[in-house]
Amino acid sequence: MQSLFAASRSSRQLALGQRAFSSSLRRWQAVPAEKPVLMKEFKIYRWNPDEPEKKPQLQSYKIDLNQTGPMVLDALIKIKNEIDPTLTFRRSCREGICGSCAMNIDGQNTLACLCRIDRNGSKNTKIYPLPHMYVVKDLVPDMTLFYKQYKSIQPWLQSDNSPEKEHLQSPEDRRKLDGMYECILCACCSTSCPSYWWNQDEYLGPATLMAAYRWIADSRDTHKAERMERLENEMSLYRCHTIFNCSRTCPKGLNPAAAIAKIKLEMAAE
Amino acid sequence: MSTRALGLGAALRKAAFSPNLVRNQAVLRNTLGKRFIQVESLTPSAEQNILNQQRLKRPSSPHFTIYQPQLTWIGSIANRVTGVGLSVLLYGFSIAYLVAPTTFSSQNVVEFVAGLPDAVKYTGKAILAAPFSFHAFNGIRHLSWDLVKFVSVKGAYVTGYIVLASTAVSTAFLTFFK
Amino acid sequence: MSSSLVLRSTLPRALARRAAAASVLQARYASTDAAKYIPGGPVLQGTVNDPTTFPPPSRIHGSYHWAFERLLAAGLVPLTAAAFVTTGSNYPILDGVLGVSLVMHSHIGFDSCLVDYLHPRKFPTLGPVLKWTLRGATVATLVGVYQFNTNDIGLTELIAKTWTA
Repeated sequence: MQSLFAASRSSRQLALGQRAFSSSLRRWQAVPAEKPVLMKEFKIYRWNPDEPEKKPQLQSYKIDLNQTGPMVLDALIKIKNEIDPTLTFRRSCREGICGSCAMNIDGQNTLACLCRIDRNGSKNTKIYPLPHMYVVKDLVPDMTLFYKQYKSIQPWLQSDNSPEKEHLQSPEDRRKLDGMYECILCACCSTSCPSYWWNQDEYLGPATLMAAYRWIADSRDTHKAERMERLENEMSLYRCHTIFNCSRTCPKGLNPAAAIAKIKLEMAAE
Repeated sequence: MSTRALGLGAALRKAAFSPNLVRNQAVLRNTLGKRFIQVESLTPSAEQNILNQQRLKRPSSPHFTIYQPQLTWIGSIANRVTGVGLSVLLYGFSIAYLVAPTTFSSQNVVEFVAGLPDAVKYTGKAILAAPFSFHAFNGIRHLSWDLVKFVSVKGAYVTGYIVLASTAVSTAFLTFFK
Repeated sequence: MSSSLVLRSTLPRALARRAAAASVLQARYASTDAAKYIPGGPVLQGTVNDPTTFPPPSRIHGSYHWAFERLLAAGLVPLTAAAFVTTGSNYPILDGVLGVSLVMHSHIGFDSCLVDYLHPRKFPTLGPVLKWTLRGATVATLVGVYQFNTNDIGLTELIAKTWTA
């Protein structure tokens, strides 16, 4: 802190036309390269529960990308810190493992922390909450139903075997779970699915269905039949029309559509 | 109990950062006092009711109007629209024939179509051939997905473009060479 | 919660007053009846900790329906191809099978649309009305197709003739 003050004092002295000593701090510091200003407009969905009668609208913010981190989440945090502290969004890990900052950026559902800002300053970036969800505030959707649905498929190991030590599994069987256990339940896939938009009260959606198959496919689980029996109805599973928005949008690169296709085929073969 | 749980964090922080406020004890007492008055004890069902009242005010976020048009879901809705269109034609003609067999006899239909100008004929053929081709090829794509073939984003896109190309070729063939 | 319960039990008068206040509050919040469950609405069934429930299991509406739909669609592939290379008047059975399977395929497609967009749980009057309208239309179509295939030239022949008309 003090050295900083010293530096600023020496620069002031320079400005007054005094001698610059080679030993002064100013001479040691490299001159930071002046970055050009690159303004970009972000249009962000706003709705305030304290003024519920006011319709949701897009609010525009302009920030200098050269003073911002590379990701959309950095921009949001910068806007919240420096322009508008009322802007509300969820975020936590900033590295794509918590799933909090899932939102719709430029028309695609993704995690703000994994989404690079499009550096084309002439085009604005639109940010909406996850599609067809009830909005708590601004970019924060109500995820209650999503979590209740996840709970309904009983996402835990159910085994009638009681081995003396741990439940053993061959490497091949273990490999069947790859690409499913990595799901972070960010709800990007479910809220990208038109079927989930129209019937989310009854249709489980890709995230929950992939979680269901993660347990159906687990060689250690002995309740496969009950798990599949629960899906035997018109709505829970069969509202999936293989649209593929889920796999297309998954920020973790997983493939819920394949998991659902496998459930359907296995249930038909039963 | 922490200041945060009591909701005093903001008031205290404000007090800490503005010496005027700290000196003015009356203001501080007022801020704290007001906070305490707002506390009320509720039964779980009353809490649920407050939550539900809040939920009823929540807007639903926009969906297909803001979602990026992608081959995935545009192709899917096109499959449905073409299927419904062709089916409406089938239902419409069959029911019309059931109601008025003489008006909608094959002879009358063929004569009516034969009397149309060429431009209308070719346009009509294209309008029928395109949805039929798309629905047929996309149907095969769907059947392969149901057998867990090409079930990946890359597979979906490659097969999607194949379907579009085949549809174009087939439409042109059915319109002009059949 | 437990500590407050203990407090209440030792202070019966306070308890009574609290209970009265709570019931007033409850009445105030419950008086708005709008907070009842509507499928797809913002109000949910049960608390946040209850899982959602499943409809009663039925294979007819589940895997059998799915498998039948796929087999029917797969069957239409060779049927359509056959209709292109032959003519219906030479193979009336082809015309008959094609007529029936096309109508069933269409019916399943229409029904799927109704379930997706106009389900009776969300549209208590329009939903069932359209469902039965569709069933009626499908029966009428089946009869119409049968009449056309038996009394007239049949579907494939009609398409072939109008196409080259």
